[in-house]
Amino acid sequence: MASVSFREVVKEFGRTRVLHGISLDIADGEFVVLVGPSGCGKSTLLRMLAGLEDITGGTIAIDGRVVNHVDSKDRDIAMVFQSYALYPHMTVRDNMGFSLRLRNEKQALIDQRVAQAAKILNLDPFLRRYPRELSGGQRQRVAMGRAIVRDPKVFLFDEPLSNLDAKLRVAMRTEIKALHQRLKTTTVYVTHDQIEAMTMADRIAVMNEGRIEQLGEPLELYDRPANLFVAQFIGSPAMNIFDGVVRAGSVEALGARWPANGRAADGQRVRYGIRPEHLEPAASGIAAEVVVVEPMGAETEIVARVADASLTVMMRGRSRAGPGERLFLAPQAVHAHLFDAASGLRI
Amino acid sequence: MNKFLREARLWLVAIPVLLWTLLPIYHIFLFSISTKDSAFSGALWPAKPTLHNFVTVFRQEHFYLHDFWHQIWNSLWIACATGVLTLAIATCAAFAISRLKVRGGRTVMNAALFTYFIPAAFLAVPMYKAMGSYGLLNNRWSLVLAMVTLAAPYAIWVLKQASDKLPWELDEAARIDGATPLQLFRLVYLPLMTPSLVAIGTYALLLAWNEYLYAFLLLSNDIPLAVGLGHFLASDDSPWELLMATALIYGLPPAAIYYAFRRYMVGGLTSGAVKT
Repeated sequence: MASVSFREVVKEFGRTRVLHGISLDIADGEFVVLVGPSGCGKSTLLRMLAGLEDITGGTIAIDGRVVNHVDSKDRDIAMVFQSYALYPHMTVRDNMGFSLRLRNEKQALIDQRVAQAAKILNLDPFLRRYPRELSGGQRQRVAMGRAIVRDPKVFLFDEPLSNLDAKLRVAMRTEIKALHQRLKTTTVYVTHDQIEAMTMADRIAVMNEGRIEQLGEPLELYDRPANLFVAQFIGSPAMNIFDGVVRAGSVEALGARWPANGRAADGQRVRYGIRPEHLEPAASGIAAEVVVVEPMGAETEIVARVADASLTVMMRGRSRAGPGERLFLAPQAVHAHLFDAASGLRI
Repeated sequence: MNKFLREARLWLVAIPVLLWTLLPIYHIFLFSISTKDSAFSGALWPAKPTLHNFVTVFRQEHFYLHDFWHQIWNSLWIACATGVLTLAIATCAAFAISRLKVRGGRTVMNAALFTYFIPAAFLAVPMYKAMGSYGLLNNRWSLVLAMVTLAAPYAIWVLKQASDKLPWELDEAARIDGATPLQLFRLVYLPLMTPSLVAIGTYALLLAWNEYLYAFLLLSNDIPLAVGLGHFLASDDSPWELLMATALIYGLPPAAIYYAFRRYMVGGLTSGAVKT
């Protein structure tokens, strides 16, 4: 186990700068998720940590040792790839033991470590099989087994679940989290799926266009997004956001008055954000017209129209409302998020 | 009905093509089981089919066949050496160009391919001169080297294309697992390339096995069977039935090799490596 630290890390491909001075400290045993839309540089950052990409500027240190010019194999890391990257001509057992074999470990030790990992991941029945004889989920587990066997300082995951179907993804998510709780190995996990990030991470780094937009615990990001990008990226369904002007402590927008905290100056142009679950229908309040009702059992998602904006409303339980009907929304000031219209920063 | 018509059209093309291809081979076969007198009778099947010609060939009981076993051994030696050497060069080159991304690798490959713009027949005389300067004339190695020169560019190109298709993540996974480039080559690359290697090895082997011009030019004593067969035509009264019997024997090893390795001619070993 080890800490990982990025200091002003820069990456350029030719003349294109894809990472603009990333600084991030990951504590020993922590599970950090790098999340962001595709092209935001999260995979590049992970690959630089793995030693698969050169570092243009800044330093990356593992356990206090700067590894900028250290070979992948000497960084004591293990990586799980999106495509699994299993050696097709080797059995599951050989795949998992490959790294130890390269280190000239004794066969007895290799067998013991592979058996141990196979037991943790329920791979015992498949040790003699070839990757092509396994299902997607099993292959993914073998890839994880290959990482575990090495007992590395840091685990790196590069979108490991994106090739699995939705159901299996949820199951594997739990499995990876349980594995981390058991092994307590420092983990850096890359995904574009904010739900994966929210459910698994100790801390999340939301990335966009080569920068970290916000770093924090999952609920901290959800409750207090630092800017518009994070507000829109974290949470599903996404936060409702629209333009408004501050007037006497509340926000005038969409032809209505929306309650807000009094931190913004009077007359300031803002973007008003409110999460769908904080827009529950009430007996009175801001009038809205129901457009679509999507019952999900425990909750109901309603797309409603206020002035010319479509807002998502999430209510607990079920709704009898039908398209075209009116309903009233009563948001509370404590749940409102205000962002500066110009800079997009939280007010 | 539509399907029937489509299939019928296919057969209409396939049958003439098949006959066209098989006719010369049937001709060879017919000659090889005919006696000298009946060889030119024009019949579709000899009156008295015989295997005597083959016995004559195997026992080397004719002036032109005195070195039959020696020549077939030469052919085999040259073909195998060419196959192995071409494979060794092309595999290493393809690995370096495709996987290690060696600087200038692609340029080297394109330069090698460029040599195909000059017909092999034009190169024969310069090659003769070069082998002469190296003191390799009338040495089997001269033919092997010449054939490797001709086979390698194509072999490198094909293997490079095949290498490019291997998932890049395998190299990265191996690097993280601690593999050196040589270990990567030996433990990951070679096993996955086996189908292509067999196909290219076979190609080079057969290229050398079938070669006549260069063999005729570069070798005078240690000749392969292809040149030996050519000698049959040196007299006015060629023993056609023996020539054809020898030719049939000469054609068998390539057929056997194709049959043995047909499984490898189709890929499929990499399935399961990555999600596709």
